[in-house]
Amino acid sequence: MKLLTDSQRRGIGALMRSNSRGRLRGALLLAMLGVVAWAATSVATVATASTAATTAAETPHRVLRIGMAVDADSLDPSELDAQDTQSIAHLLWGTLYKTSSDGRLDPYFALSAKLSDDGRAYIFKLRPDLKCENGAPLTARDVAYSFDHPNDPKLKFTGHASGFVLPALRYTGTRVDDPLTVTIQFAAYNPIALGLIAEMFIFCRAPYEAMTPEYAASHASATGPYRLVEWRHDDRIVLERNKSYGLAAPPYDGVVFRVLPEASTRTAELLAGNLDIMSGVVADQIEAINHSGTAKVESVASIRRIYVGFNQNPKFAATAGGKAIEDPRVRRALQFAIDVPTLCQALLRTPCARMATMIFPPNDKTGIHADPYDPDHTEQLLDQAGYKRGADGVRFALVLQTPRGRYPNDVNIALAIAQYLTDIGVKTTVDVLDFASVFVPLVRQHVAGPLFLMGSSGASWSAIYDLADFSAPDGGANYTDFADPEFFAGWRRIEQTHDPAEQGKALSAMMHVFHERGTWLNLYFLPDLYGVSNKLSWQPRADELIALGN
Amino acid sequence: MGLAGLVAKRLVQALLVVVGVTLVTFATLHLGGDPTYLYVGEHASAAQITATRVKLGFDLPLTTQYLRFARGLLHADLGDSLTFHQPALGVVLERFPATLELTCTALSLAVVLGVPLGVFAALHRGRPLDGGIMLLALLGQSIPSFWLGILLLLFVGLAWHWLPISGRVPLLDPLFAGDWRTAWTNLPQALPFLVMPSVTIAVFSLARTARLVRSSLLEVLSQDYVRTARAKGLSERRVIVHHALRNAWLPVLTMLGLEFGFLLSGVVVVETVFSWPGVGRLVFNAINHRDIPLVEAAVIVFSLLFVSVNLLVDLLYIRLDPRIRLA
Repeated sequence: MKLLTDSQRRGIGALMRSNSRGRLRGALLLAMLGVVAWAATSVATVATASTAATTAAETPHRVLRIGMAVDADSLDPSELDAQDTQSIAHLLWGTLYKTSSDGRLDPYFALSAKLSDDGRAYIFKLRPDLKCENGAPLTARDVAYSFDHPNDPKLKFTGHASGFVLPALRYTGTRVDDPLTVTIQFAAYNPIALGLIAEMFIFCRAPYEAMTPEYAASHASATGPYRLVEWRHDDRIVLERNKSYGLAAPPYDGVVFRVLPEASTRTAELLAGNLDIMSGVVADQIEAINHSGTAKVESVASIRRIYVGFNQNPKFAATAGGKAIEDPRVRRALQFAIDVPTLCQALLRTPCARMATMIFPPNDKTGIHADPYDPDHTEQLLDQAGYKRGADGVRFALVLQTPRGRYPNDVNIALAIAQYLTDIGVKTTVDVLDFASVFVPLVRQHVAGPLFLMGSSGASWSAIYDLADFSAPDGGANYTDFADPEFFAGWRRIEQTHDPAEQGKALSAMMHVFHERGTWLNLYFLPDLYGVSNKLSWQPRADELIALGN
Repeated sequence: MGLAGLVAKRLVQALLVVVGVTLVTFATLHLGGDPTYLYVGEHASAAQITATRVKLGFDLPLTTQYLRFARGLLHADLGDSLTFHQPALGVVLERFPATLELTCTALSLAVVLGVPLGVFAALHRGRPLDGGIMLLALLGQSIPSFWLGILLLLFVGLAWHWLPISGRVPLLDPLFAGDWRTAWTNLPQALPFLVMPSVTIAVFSLARTARLVRSSLLEVLSQDYVRTARAKGLSERRVIVHHALRNAWLPVLTMLGLEFGFLLSGVVVVETVFSWPGVGRLVFNAINHRDIPLVEAAVIVFSLLFVSVNLLVDLLYIRLDPRIRLA
């Protein structure tokens, strides 16, 4: 069928030829209009279906939406490592004991725990109503597998369980006493064993035996209150209620973790109502969130200690500054040189108290108070120690190494500290380093510094754990090469008694030694900032877990 | 040399490029030192660090590590990602459709808008329209993409609620899996998510394309053969489309081949701002975590794609300009 007669076509052809330049413009215009129409159609689609079309489609009623900066590294309970992943993992798997928001260790999958007489094993009675995701009963054999599987050297796991918890526990094996009784054994008495055991996720043997490690890395078989529905890498992790979970019903039908690496994007999503909670609010967005009327910022002093390490590695003794900080009187003197609350207020825009000791304040029974800001006192102490100002006003020079972007506003914090130290005659230059490729290797080899800005996680459940960085003079995390024999003798006192009160006394004595030696330049417990929708009542936890309920 | 010979020669060259790229990448990544420290706990002892180094294979001499990597490459096995504990190539390919979606849309925008704008400007040389278009092009090339992205996000997404702020609905993934139905169903939802990131990434290329088309067309329009064509009485449309544009296309085509690579490498910022789960962000994180197998896998995929696109451009060049074949 012809749409046009021949004469019509000839007429249109003639018209086109007579106005060919105009026709060309028309064609070009048409192409551009096509693009504009595409954008407009897209806008219209969204305008009619609301901006959060997909989110709405995937998030049914009573679904909690959480925005976080980084994706999970793995969803294999044997391989988990990153802190953000821990928040997800605690929804997918249970633990024998769990830490409450105020740092108490409460029974969870276990009904009770009993330390053996020799202190080298914990005997756990399991709850009888535990279930795997497939509905099969969860028994002591599954608990044993949850410890043995990450410990299997053939599988080459490097996560938190195999890389930290099991070696720290000096785990030797598990004994299944009956279907509901399991004994976790370790080489020597460890006063923080129960807390370490509480960091091990319990999962079921059968499903994980059927999975390759590669498959298990992105597929979860849950034992906790939620099960994995979907993990779109670098985009979102969708969880829904685990129907086999026989303990208290979780407060939401589902939880969606969205991966939003850019802080301003996370904030925009929160303010648009597409998120209920966002982690990692940056300082310059606090006001915008608080004045939005739709969300607020909740802050908490976390268990992460931010400090400047005085590295006593002999490598630095060749320099005047390195030699000077070997002197405990110098290290003590410098404690008074930094105005930490002003630092927090100005650079983190959040109030913070100065760290008195490395122990998380609610667990700190040492009676040690934070050093005040008193630069005159610092100058006086340095003069007394024999480090007087030279003709140029400089006592000695130091280098402060800092990572960039690892901790909130880290470079500016380092620059401010350098200025405070320079003001009292310790000329300090800041060396900004890439965290992964330069800073971490230096720190791990104990050759960062002689001053270095660092963050180190403690625990909300144990003061002893907070000293774990100084487990031995040659300990991996003893980045300052602190080797005071009086301090390290304290560990023997702690291990020789099972009495918590005696352990507390020994710990306090150790902390007094540490304080007098001034090994760290104490700064603050890092304030963690979360954006929370006004529709939600939620309080952040010091241990950085995004937990639903206590 | 015949067409087949030319293609074979180009393929060999492409292979050498890919091998060179893997070598440079491998050397660069290892220049930063031993990444073992990133994969052990804070409290790891020296013995544990050594054990992990052996586990990850970083204790071997660099040549052995490279040969092992090259042998794996021949079997499409680039090892497991240190972060994801999954085959590195699989991790990259899983995110590849997202990046391809973004890059292709941005490139299409750059061509569909940039070419007409360039032609318009050339046809109206010296007039206000030309000045206006060139001013816009200058702006487009001057605006940093992360700034434009955040502005779009704040105004178009947050303030006006015209488009979703961030995220993605898969479009190419089901298509690659042969699931046309899901791809078609996802299309209306996917398009709105594509607009802001692709516009952000396209603006620079669009501006560059418009400027290049304009200058290229102006040069061609002043050639004798164009004057001859007009003198023969050919319509202006025929002169421009069949004679001028065809020749003006040659430098544009070369640039588009390179532009594809530029867009691929430039998606990192845009993928981060709009939380687009693509390869750019993956590589950025992998570099930060010194996930060597993952970076190598991504670099190989990118370089293969880049080389393939430029091979295609070379072939198109031959099709458009027979003189090249003769040369």
